[in-house]
Amino acid sequence: MDIRFEQVDFTYQPNTPFEQRALFDLNLTIEDGSYTAIVGHTGSGKSTLLQHLNALVKPTKGSVTIGDRTIVPETNNKNLKPIRKKVGIVFQFPEAQLFEETVAKDIAFGPKNFGVTGEDAQRLAAEMLDLVGLDATYLERSPFELSGGQMRRVAIAGVLAMEPEVLVLDEPTAGLDPQGRKEMMEMFQQLHEKRGMTIVLVTHLMDDVANYADHVIVLEKGKIVKSGTPQDVFQNIDWLKEKQLGVPTAASFAEKLMEKGMTFDILPLTADALADKLLKGLEMAGEDQ
Amino acid sequence: MMNKLIFGRYIPGDSFIHTLDPRAKLLASFYFIGIIFLANNWQTYGILAIFTLFAIFLSKVNIRFFIRGIKPLIWLILFTVALQMLFTQGGTVYFSWGIFTITEFGVINGLFIFCRFVLIIFMSTLLTLTTPPLDLSDAIEYLLRPLKAVHFPVHEVSLMLSIALRFVPTLMDETEKIMNAQRARGVDFGEGNLVQKMKAVVPLLIPLFVSSFNRAEDLATAMEARGYQGGDGRTKYRVLHWHSKDTAVILAFVALTVVLIFLRS
Repeated sequence: MDIRFEQVDFTYQPNTPFEQRALFDLNLTIEDGSYTAIVGHTGSGKSTLLQHLNALVKPTKGSVTIGDRTIVPETNNKNLKPIRKKVGIVFQFPEAQLFEETVAKDIAFGPKNFGVTGEDAQRLAAEMLDLVGLDATYLERSPFELSGGQMRRVAIAGVLAMEPEVLVLDEPTAGLDPQGRKEMMEMFQQLHEKRGMTIVLVTHLMDDVANYADHVIVLEKGKIVKSGTPQDVFQNIDWLKEKQLGVPTAASFAEKLMEKGMTFDILPLTADALADKLLKGLEMAGEDQ
Repeated sequence: MMNKLIFGRYIPGDSFIHTLDPRAKLLASFYFIGIIFLANNWQTYGILAIFTLFAIFLSKVNIRFFIRGIKPLIWLILFTVALQMLFTQGGTVYFSWGIFTITEFGVINGLFIFCRFVLIIFMSTLLTLTTPPLDLSDAIEYLLRPLKAVHFPVHEVSLMLSIALRFVPTLMDETEKIMNAQRARGVDFGEGNLVQKMKAVVPLLIPLFVSSFNRAEDLATAMEARGYQGGDGRTKYRVLHWHSKDTAVILAFVALTVVLIFLRS
């Protein structure tokens, strides 16, 4: 399912003294089965853009096409549920959305809203809890007695249980420990690869972008300033530094090597890519001798 | 949804009204609500309207925002006006049907009540549009000080008030976020029958309460860690200053009262 933005403008509180324009003439396409990363400063309009992906807000100008539905400013607020089921959003700090007495009920809440029967919802809850790395003993516990990290997993399981086609993640690993962060990112990668889920990731961690994403959109002050593959976007390190976006660790290490006289035909972005290049370099050096 | 509310919000500026002492503004607004009941004929309402419009002019805030501030209350106003019109007896009878009569006095009373509502709303909107909430709570604390004599916990009340005011926008943001998160999980707010609507509020209310508890605990800990031990022996960072123009404003209101008493019939 593709999501397409055509000349999308968005203004908060139009026609009041508090009017604030957040998005300017956005054109973008999130293709079916892609892994798109959206990066940019705080306040660049990322979160506003996210809310357009499942029609939580409507554009003030232009149109957003989600699958076979087109959202324009005049669109009625009714009957948007099918879109919400197809596009699941994990908001920042999703643990704030938990409310049921037990973990099982909370995870089943989403599917039930979309008409899944009680029994199937329970089965889904158990399955999703396992997927996010918690065992079945957690099912009957109250979400409020869990640790912050476990609550995060339950909240994410609650969104996954809706079985969305597109999964939108707004800084899903913020505030998690390194181990939890890695597990979480690997899990999303699995969903992307094995179930063909389209993933949209908003993050400040350029390493995650380099490691997982196949498409990057750079936002600045509500406008797209660059978009393409990570390889394209991260090629120009000086530009990244100028925009204060951060550089993937491997790329900045490669840059230091270049200062010492090494050359790369393309800049390696991930540790693996860098290791490959170095290995090849060593082999060639060996043959020369 | 809540964004449409103009009343109770602050628009930064540096006009005459903006730079007045909040105590003067607060006193003046309450005083205005008191003296508005002195008006009972067209002349007095005219004077009050001119006075209010002049104050709005001095604040340099676009009058459109004041008019928009009335919108949420328009049904209440119209309802009251309609009751007045339909049930007041006296004067020429224009129309009569059962217990409903529209009379000359009724129409005039209705119009007066309408003016009264609009003027009160304009004045209180002017107060909140030109005064930052924290200044208001400082002013309230100052004006409540005499109540200390009867062991009223003035410091605690004003502390609660300023914390509450500070967290209104934060809680609004939080509400919006949780609402969005639950809508993304398939909750329809404000749809279906009354029972369904009420049920839909649960996934919003429980997280809000839980996060308020957590926030309160964090805030209390942070306050204690910074040496807060209660109101005794504290000094003030924001000190209010009473200038001669504040006195002038109060005098203007006194003069207005005299004129009203003189003109009322």
